[in-house]
Amino acid sequence: MSALGKVVRSGVGRRRVQSLVMALTTFAAVTSSVLSLGLLAIVQAPFDHAFKARNGAHLSVQFDSSKATAAQAAATAHAAGVTEASGPYPVTAALNTAYGADCTGNIVAGMPVAGRASSPVVVATRPDLADTSGLDHLALVQGRWPTTANEIVLSTWDRLCAGGSVMFDSLPGKPSFKVVGQANSLTNTATGFLTTDGFARLTAAGAKTDQQMLYRFAKSGTDADLTTDKQAIAAAAPAGSVESGQSYLAVEKQIVGATKSYVPFLVVFGILGLFLSVLIIAIVVSGAVVSGIRRIGILKSLGFTPWQVARAYAAQALIPATIGVVGGTLAGNVLAVPVLGKASKELGAADTGLPVWVSLVVPIGTLVIVGVTALIPALRAGRMPAVQTLVVGRAPKAQRGRAAQRLASRLPLPRPMSFGLAQPFAKPARAALVGAAVLFGAVSVTFAIGLETAFTKYQDTDTTGFHAASMLVVPAGTPSGFHAPGGGPGSPHLDSTEVAAALASIPGTKAAFGWGNSGATVIGAPTGDHTIVDTTTGDLSWTNLELLEGRWYQSPGEAVINDHLSSALGMHLGDTVTVTQDDKRLPLRIVGIDFDGGSDGFVMTDNATFTAGGLTPYITQFNVKLADNTSGSDWSASAAPALAPLHAETAPNITYPNPTVLTMAALVATLTLMMIAVAALGVLNTVVQDTRERIHDLGIFKALGMTPKQTIAMVLTSVSLTGLIAGLIGVPIGMAVEKATLSQMGSALGRNMPPSVTHVYTPGILLPLLAGGIAIALLGALLPAGWAARSRTATALRTE
Amino acid sequence: MTNEPMIDLQDATKKYDDGPPALAGVSLSVAAGECVAILGHSGSGKSTLLNLVAGLDKPSSGTVTVNGTRVDQLGEAGSAKYRRASIGMIFQFFNLLDDLTVLDNVMVPAQLAGMGRLEVKRRAIELLTSLGIDRHAKAYPQRLSGGQRQRVAVARALMNRPALLLADEPTGALDSRSAEDVRRLLLDLNDEGQTILLVTHDIQLAANTARRTIELVDGAVARDVVNTVSGATSNSSAGASR
Repeated sequence: MSALGKVVRSGVGRRRVQSLVMALTTFAAVTSSVLSLGLLAIVQAPFDHAFKARNGAHLSVQFDSSKATAAQAAATAHAAGVTEASGPYPVTAALNTAYGADCTGNIVAGMPVAGRASSPVVVATRPDLADTSGLDHLALVQGRWPTTANEIVLSTWDRLCAGGSVMFDSLPGKPSFKVVGQANSLTNTATGFLTTDGFARLTAAGAKTDQQMLYRFAKSGTDADLTTDKQAIAAAAPAGSVESGQSYLAVEKQIVGATKSYVPFLVVFGILGLFLSVLIIAIVVSGAVVSGIRRIGILKSLGFTPWQVARAYAAQALIPATIGVVGGTLAGNVLAVPVLGKASKELGAADTGLPVWVSLVVPIGTLVIVGVTALIPALRAGRMPAVQTLVVGRAPKAQRGRAAQRLASRLPLPRPMSFGLAQPFAKPARAALVGAAVLFGAVSVTFAIGLETAFTKYQDTDTTGFHAASMLVVPAGTPSGFHAPGGGPGSPHLDSTEVAAALASIPGTKAAFGWGNSGATVIGAPTGDHTIVDTTTGDLSWTNLELLEGRWYQSPGEAVINDHLSSALGMHLGDTVTVTQDDKRLPLRIVGIDFDGGSDGFVMTDNATFTAGGLTPYITQFNVKLADNTSGSDWSASAAPALAPLHAETAPNITYPNPTVLTMAALVATLTLMMIAVAALGVLNTVVQDTRERIHDLGIFKALGMTPKQTIAMVLTSVSLTGLIAGLIGVPIGMAVEKATLSQMGSALGRNMPPSVTHVYTPGILLPLLAGGIAIALLGALLPAGWAARSRTATALRTE
Repeated sequence: MTNEPMIDLQDATKKYDDGPPALAGVSLSVAAGECVAILGHSGSGKSTLLNLVAGLDKPSSGTVTVNGTRVDQLGEAGSAKYRRASIGMIFQFFNLLDDLTVLDNVMVPAQLAGMGRLEVKRRAIELLTSLGIDRHAKAYPQRLSGGQRQRVAVARALMNRPALLLADEPTGALDSRSAEDVRRLLLDLNDEGQTILLVTHDIQLAANTARRTIELVDGAVARDVVNTVSGATSNSSAGASR
């Protein structure tokens, strides 16, 4: 090994703690950066690539065939702004389906699949399903295209009935088609495709047919552009004939939004991590130079050139940083697998890894930044005159902080604490470094706790589960947690009037309301979504479900939709949303926009509205609020005799967390712990350095009778003021970063976060956070304080 | 002067690593009110002995008793409290805290002991006055001469009225005039009954300041003599090395 190598190795060996800190910091920074940059790259690219390759449609519009003929729909291809159009293609509204009689599997033991409701399907046909001219080339994912009138391809089909049939059970003729393949439209223009003959079978069985046109526009980059484009199409078509229009941006959000929503907070962690890396490395290398002045003098007297000295000191930082960079790159790639899993699956991509260039650019970029950071103080070491360094031996003691010492000595504090309190003023630059490390830590903690709290609240807002309830009443025999996907008559349901009356008579029932998936579908709803139309009966005001806008329905014909559907359909308060069930259509006026944590759209209206419109509500569950001091088990026992004759039974209210949110929460928690650890290690490193430089003073104090406890108190107090100030500055910054990040995440998901989700910093959270800066500072200073307390006085006194 | 032993070392040995012992079975006693010089060349073990008496280090074997306290049995906190209550120390390089004023430096030991600020200040000014440096109370140590700094160090050492004053090469960093000034100060303190253990390699200082000189060679007591007159010595009878 060369002389330079030996110097570097011994330097790294002597500063094990600092080397570990540098490795950990760069590890955290690189993990976050690899993950965020990788996600940005991989999530967007496949959709863009597929959209281009399959000549995706910017907008798909359905025309009510009772108001516009096929020719009139086709004529809209010449509307203002249209650059390319395809269609018209016959298409149905979303039709309820059930598993065919040839499906032999079981959902759970004793519950056969056959006849059970499956997801609604929007069916379309084209002259040639495999055609690759025009817009929106369909992709066959597996199986084959249908060749007969009895075959169909679906965008998704359950493994529960592989090779079986799908039955359109809401149509009078209940036609059945054998599923021969899986195929999709990139922008979900339909979720089932038939041959022309097959489609004729469907219409013959009673399906209402609309006309679908697909368009590309000159301007299509934003939601506003597409709203303008849609208005141009509507203007070119007969009045009132445009039923719906779905933009590719809504689909893009649906496909990549969940994964893209990871990016904002990962970017924040990446930036925080990189700043911390730079800070820690600057602290360590500067410290190594300051405390090693005599060593530098010796090296130079032995013949080391200034450049060799500089390289030796820079390398002492680069070695641990390289270890952190390599580890961080590996960790970023490993963590990407669960995060990317969903998006890759949606796009049909098999590869869940990050692009190779990300794993090269991030580590190399980090090493360059780290190298430059280390080189600046290292060059200072190289430029030091050998004679001066040998004579001085250590950094000259500054004369700062005397006024602070005088003032501190007058405070009514134990003397060790007043000594500690004045210490940062003697070395303001070092105090600033401690403050910066704590500041980053405080920002990270505030940001992360805010985000975690928001995630929790986001989960709690899931209206589709109506979480607010003590107990549930469900149809007898319903397996715990099982809800039939389609709802409607195919699912077990309750007699809402009788159950409501029974519940009212059971002691301990404070309030109850019933609700259920009607199995109806929404005209124009994103076909890739599982849009639900729920009806309710009874008073649900006690659930305190939050509306983003408007109010709850009070009169017949009114409905509330969620923000997801609102943005997907471009509908607002006062607009009309049309639901359809068994080919009957019911227009509903939107009086409220609700927020919920689910990823699909939904419409809610009253049972009475449905009944008045000739549609059938299906109540599948009652949510019951129990009176105070009523136990769930006692109430269940007393309710059972009343409910049993109604084929109903009680069930505990179990909620299921959103897996995306859980993954995010785990990721945030992991990164936060790393940031806190790194911030605390940054403080530790600085205090260690400070303690080393003050070891002689510590020896004096101990010789004069300072006890170990007093020594610890002095060292801890020396960082507490800095920690407090950094915490007070860091908390508002962390809050601002959290707000901006949450907004970006909501935007990626296509959601408007309600105040209940965004207002996370309650006094109960804020007050401990404000003390967080001190906590991080004390955490970091605790070990060196212990070392200072244990330092041998006799040795310390000889250190000059 | 009384015959009560202030310092009592019994077979005290101190070893570092595998080398020869820094102190090898030293037994000695110092009576209250005595001024004893520990004389020896560099590496003779005199600083190790001082550290054992001050509770800054522990013997590998043997006992160290000071003013009735088994110093070798004290823990870290106990040693600190022992030094605070019983020991005053002055050093060759003064070991004053540069960022504190003279007055604040002198006050530190009493403040660490938890005494009230006003009482501490009164006592510190009293000491500075008695040592003739009260006009420098608000100055910082770096602005004082070597002799003045050592007087400040003496004032600080006496702050808690220690039973024993340990002086480690107190004139080693001073010019001859300042050294004589400090020597006289130590003599005066001893005359007032202060027990002093003086560690030095300066034969003249030992002879002219201490009433008794113990010479260490290679960690063992080579001589223990009573200084009869200034610069002259004779064999000790009482309190000699055993």
